[in-house]
Amino acid sequence: MNTSNQGSSFSRGNNTQADSNTKTFVLPDKCFEQRAACVFRSGNKFSIYPRSQTVSKAPVSIDNKILDVRQDILLFIPILRKLVNESNGTYISLQKAAEAAKTTDNQVEFLKLSRQYRSIIRVCIESLQESAAMEQDGVKKCNLLSYITIFYSVECIWHLCEILYIDNIPGDVVLPFLLEWVRFHFPCHEQTAAQMLEACERGSEDHPEYWDTVIGMIVQGRVDVARALMKLHSSVDSNEFKLVDNSLRSMPVYSVYGGISTGEFTISWKHWQAECRSKITSRVLTSQPKLELIMKLIIGDYAAFESIRGSYSSWFDLLGGWVMFTAPWTRRHELGAPAAACAGMATPTHAPRTHLDQMVRALLDGDLHQVIHEIQQISDNGWFATHLTDILFHCGKLKILDKHQNNVTARLRDSLILEYGCLLMEHKSLWSAGLSYLGSCPPEGLRRAELALERMPIETEAKAMRVIAEAKKYGLNGVVRTVCACASSRLLRAGRIGGALTWGTRGKHGAACGRAAHAALRQYAARGELPAQDALLTATPAMLPHHPLLLAVKYSDFHRLYKSREFKKAGKLLVSLITSKLAPDYFWETLLLDTLPLLESDELIFSSEDTIEIMLCLELKSSNLSAEKADLLRLAAVRNLARASLADEDNSNSE
Amino acid sequence: MPLDVQGTFVSQKINKIRWIPEEYIEANCFFTGSWDDDVNSIKVWTLESNQEEEDIEYPRPLSEFIVDGDVTEIQFVDSTKIAVSTSNGDVKLLEISVYDKKSPLREIHSWKNLHNFGLDQCSCTSLHILDGDIATIGEDGNVNILNSRRGEISYRIVGADSCSLHSVCFIKHTEVITGNLRGHMKIWDLRTNINKPAASFLLAGDEMAATCILNHPTQPHIILAGSESGSLAVWDLRVNSFPTTLLNAHSAGVTEMQFHPENPHKLFTSSVSGEIWDWNMEGMTKSTQGPDNQITTWLPLEEKNAMMVNSLMPPLHKPINTLHCDKGKIICGTDNEAVYLIKNFKY
Repeated sequence: MNTSNQGSSFSRGNNTQADSNTKTFVLPDKCFEQRAACVFRSGNKFSIYPRSQTVSKAPVSIDNKILDVRQDILLFIPILRKLVNESNGTYISLQKAAEAAKTTDNQVEFLKLSRQYRSIIRVCIESLQESAAMEQDGVKKCNLLSYITIFYSVECIWHLCEILYIDNIPGDVVLPFLLEWVRFHFPCHEQTAAQMLEACERGSEDHPEYWDTVIGMIVQGRVDVARALMKLHSSVDSNEFKLVDNSLRSMPVYSVYGGISTGEFTISWKHWQAECRSKITSRVLTSQPKLELIMKLIIGDYAAFESIRGSYSSWFDLLGGWVMFTAPWTRRHELGAPAAACAGMATPTHAPRTHLDQMVRALLDGDLHQVIHEIQQISDNGWFATHLTDILFHCGKLKILDKHQNNVTARLRDSLILEYGCLLMEHKSLWSAGLSYLGSCPPEGLRRAELALERMPIETEAKAMRVIAEAKKYGLNGVVRTVCACASSRLLRAGRIGGALTWGTRGKHGAACGRAAHAALRQYAARGELPAQDALLTATPAMLPHHPLLLAVKYSDFHRLYKSREFKKAGKLLVSLITSKLAPDYFWETLLLDTLPLLESDELIFSSEDTIEIMLCLELKSSNLSAEKADLLRLAAVRNLARASLADEDNSNSE
Repeated sequence: MPLDVQGTFVSQKINKIRWIPEEYIEANCFFTGSWDDDVNSIKVWTLESNQEEEDIEYPRPLSEFIVDGDVTEIQFVDSTKIAVSTSNGDVKLLEISVYDKKSPLREIHSWKNLHNFGLDQCSCTSLHILDGDIATIGEDGNVNILNSRRGEISYRIVGADSCSLHSVCFIKHTEVITGNLRGHMKIWDLRTNINKPAASFLLAGDEMAATCILNHPTQPHIILAGSESGSLAVWDLRVNSFPTTLLNAHSAGVTEMQFHPENPHKLFTSSVSGEIWDWNMEGMTKSTQGPDNQITTWLPLEEKNAMMVNSLMPPLHKPINTLHCDKGKIICGTDNEAVYLIKNFKY
């Protein structure tokens, strides 16, 4: 019995050692309690089977089971297959763009492709959300929701990467992009703000989330929205409100194209902050603690930020505001310190640091090695790590050194792509996508592709033709030959000699052609009809001297000549076939007996030399013929020799 | 309006795609048949526009019919019935409800293992339908003529070819033409009982397979064949056995050809190289006004400079396996598991 167990039914054992990389899986039904052995199969598959080391005399009853175990690949579910295929297209365009970038600067193209990747992820999240909403089954729904979380953080990280490494930011001043990132991925209070502004009612402070929303807008850097919301407060005309509104309005905004230098801007900005600070110290705002908080936030007061940290699920929400109100001129590679400040803020709940936290920290610190290490831990089967590393590599932004300070960037990128390509090669349908990844990583990728393609089951000629077309694209001639030989022997097994011969010649595979030719000759020797005449007549054996195919082709040509009553030519061909001694033992009888009608024909066909050759071969190979037939042939040959000698005599006399 | 191309990923490699014809209006539903996957199926799709963006239509699956093996061909018997051939040698007749396209396809008849290697399976590689008669071919080299109304095999040519057959087409009710793996084309007369072709000729000298055959909708003596090498051959069966025109067209195998149903001067071809082209064939024909005003001759090999070829969309990085056209809409199915819809085609 062969149970094929598809992985999913395995329950994941508790991982007791937190930092070891091993995972324990409990086999179902406690099978193989005796002893078990395990072998690797192709790809990520292995088989477990019962095996006993001890020899026991009494037959032990063991389960006759072989368990096929394979990794459950997330990317192979239908929704994510769309992601795999679509991103494959973008990947190929990226390789082309990278090729072009060798001669010209292609940064804009890279940014376009990076956006394309992100939109593919967003489409994927959307369709996951759609199907999660429709899913009834609890477990499946839960799975889909966890996939959404995975790809959500993938997109978040990719976006930040794009800002920090791929996008072309004027003057490297990252603030507007950072704020955009925060707003896009952590849209807090946005809806409430929109609702309140739409309602446009004086006295909106009765709304339970009024102040949270105003502060949320400040922290996201949307000063205009915050000011508009404050106008909805019933005591907007009070002095305190006017004061804060004035401070917010007069905040200097830095812009590279603003026409002032960084130094100049810093002076005016510092001046503005000092003004704000003096307003706080003058204690005019003590009656309005919320307004005081806002003032403290906009001067970048650490304690103030820390006090509101509890209302946000993560420190990313505060990052934009922190940079904006402490150092708006921050360049994109200077984000480590603000990130550390925000991440260090005490939280009332002491929520554990998430994986996303670590990835964002590493990214803001500029430690791409760590980032790639972290994103490899995401359970998306390497999709993200592969594509992100590839694009960063082509942008020239990735530089990774090993412990001996060697640059291993290209090797890292290649190894990720090879891994991902091999993963796809395992799938029945996605192999062609996998091949394009392996093909972009020569020479190692092509060697791997060769191994994988040779092991791929090919059931139809259509698939064989497609595999050959792909293999030729990458110059894998070995694969072409193997596939042709397999197709040939499959047809030969089915008794289709013509087809077998065609595939053999297609692959220029001598052995396959030989087998087919032997089959054809044997079938003729046994049944007296030559199969696949059409194929033999047009075959081109010129490049295969001393080959059974040559014999088969020439022999079928002999039949053609004989049928069209060109006996002279046919006889000449037959003698050359006999004298060349190409024929295998089983075919000698046929060849020699074919001379009989020509020897006995009314017209003289074989010359005396030819006849002597035939007689010589007859004696050499007489063991292949029955005595009766041999005698018959000898008689015919002698009679022909006599006729031929007389004719020779006549010819020489007439001369 | 310019051509509008839009792709949708469907998580299946599509081997055949067919519009479901509608009377008077543009078709809105189509069949796809998948291949090269663990589970293959025939799906019915409809085009639906989103609430937000009215002018963009997305295909949405309506029903699925699982088949064993790859779908190798889908052809219409009439407007609601299709004949499907699969790589395990079966041919099935399926029906779609006129009123409710969502209801699953109904199997009317199935010829199990119609093509076989004895006990082993062998692919039924293609089929063609003319007025309810279905000609099927397979890797076993046999030709079967099936009667779709009575569900029986009405004629068989056993061992029609020593090689596997890859394309078939009815020339008229009594004649079919087949093409094999080596590019040998054979014409079979279905009235005789001798196992010999009425005519035979070569597609090209390169021993590449004839992947598809098509006859001209208005001039039945004109036969076109696509080759695995990407070239396109045209024969005038009245003249001689050599192709009157042999064009080096695509850079890899031609996968499917179709004349526009309403304009026989327009030909579409798709290819393994990921290209989909439309050909203006007007340049290839030369009218010599005969007494019946009908006689056209095809230009000989040398004078093909007047040919017009357009690419309908930028080349894909994966093969385009199939295409189908209905009025101004063309759909194609590809190996990157996507379906592309091309709209606003002028014919």
